[in-house]
Amino acid sequence: MTTSHPDPASRAAFVDGLRAGVSLMMGVIPFGMVCGAAAAAAGLTLGQGAALSWMVFAGASQLVFAQLYAADAPALVIIATAAIVNLRFLMYSAALAPHLSELTLRKRWLAAYLLTDQAFALTMVRTTRNRAGAASFYMGLASVMWLTWQISSIAGIFLGEVIPPSWSMDFVVALVFIAVLAPMLRDPRALTVMLVAGAGAVLFQIPLKLNLISATLLGVATGLALEKIWKPKR
Amino acid sequence: MIVALAVATFSMRLSFLALWAHGNLPSWLTRALAYVPAAAMAAIVAPIVFPAAIGLAESLPSFDLPRLIAAAAAFVIAYFTRSTLLTIVLGMATLWGVQALLGVL
Repeated sequence: MTTSHPDPASRAAFVDGLRAGVSLMMGVIPFGMVCGAAAAAAGLTLGQGAALSWMVFAGASQLVFAQLYAADAPALVIIATAAIVNLRFLMYSAALAPHLSELTLRKRWLAAYLLTDQAFALTMVRTTRNRAGAASFYMGLASVMWLTWQISSIAGIFLGEVIPPSWSMDFVVALVFIAVLAPMLRDPRALTVMLVAGAGAVLFQIPLKLNLISATLLGVATGLALEKIWKPKR
Repeated sequence: MIVALAVATFSMRLSFLALWAHGNLPSWLTRALAYVPAAAMAAIVAPIVFPAAIGLAESLPSFDLPRLIAAAAAFVIAYFTRSTLLTIVLGMATLWGVQALLGVL
């Protein structure tokens, strides 16, 4: 496809993707730095922190990993909780598949590795007005996201090693998620799900830090139950 | 641990893109997955804003006023600006400001 014999249309779509990626950088850089800093603060080495960023490459789950690692949770609980945060990739993967079907199998493996919230969302938005070139657009956008993520999280690791604990930097983790959650407040069902999950996480007195998983599952169950009461608008 | 999480995460990303390219998620699962980000993130945020009291005698969450105020401010800032950077910068400024103010009073 694009890289071997780029035809003008897919090259243009790839460049569009690069541009879209650059426009998202200001939101991604602070998130990446927070993830790096959280890994360092949790006691992960530079190599481990960097490995988290390039092997897992999913900010929210990296933060969960760092938090639970710092809290001495058992390995299985850390992995399960962080993996639940990434369950959304199943949904993204299914939704994107028809738009990336023109890619070779090997390129689809690469596309899967590069899958993020941003790359998914912007590619889906683009396909609503322009179905052509979605795969090239996605690859351009996703590469910029990857590179931005790696650089900013490594910068964050160095930063995290020098920031004193008295600065309450754990609060930055909450702020990053608040930035993602706030726009959802408009939807009464999402708001209820957040309140239930948040209350559950604080109130459940469960050993081994299992409160995050139970609260998340309770929140999801609440959302499904609410659908029966408030019909979706679509 | 990092490798296990990486393998789990990559399999979920790969699922429909390469493994079952012609498969599809059952609709109840799609609907459930739509709530995962909101639920999971709220479950992470809440304990940071309401640090839990240690011990069964005081099993209610304890109130940390600066965190509560800063979190509320951050929600307002994020809602209106949609900016991660502004939310982080102004949220931390609020937290430190209120902490300093309460320290003085």
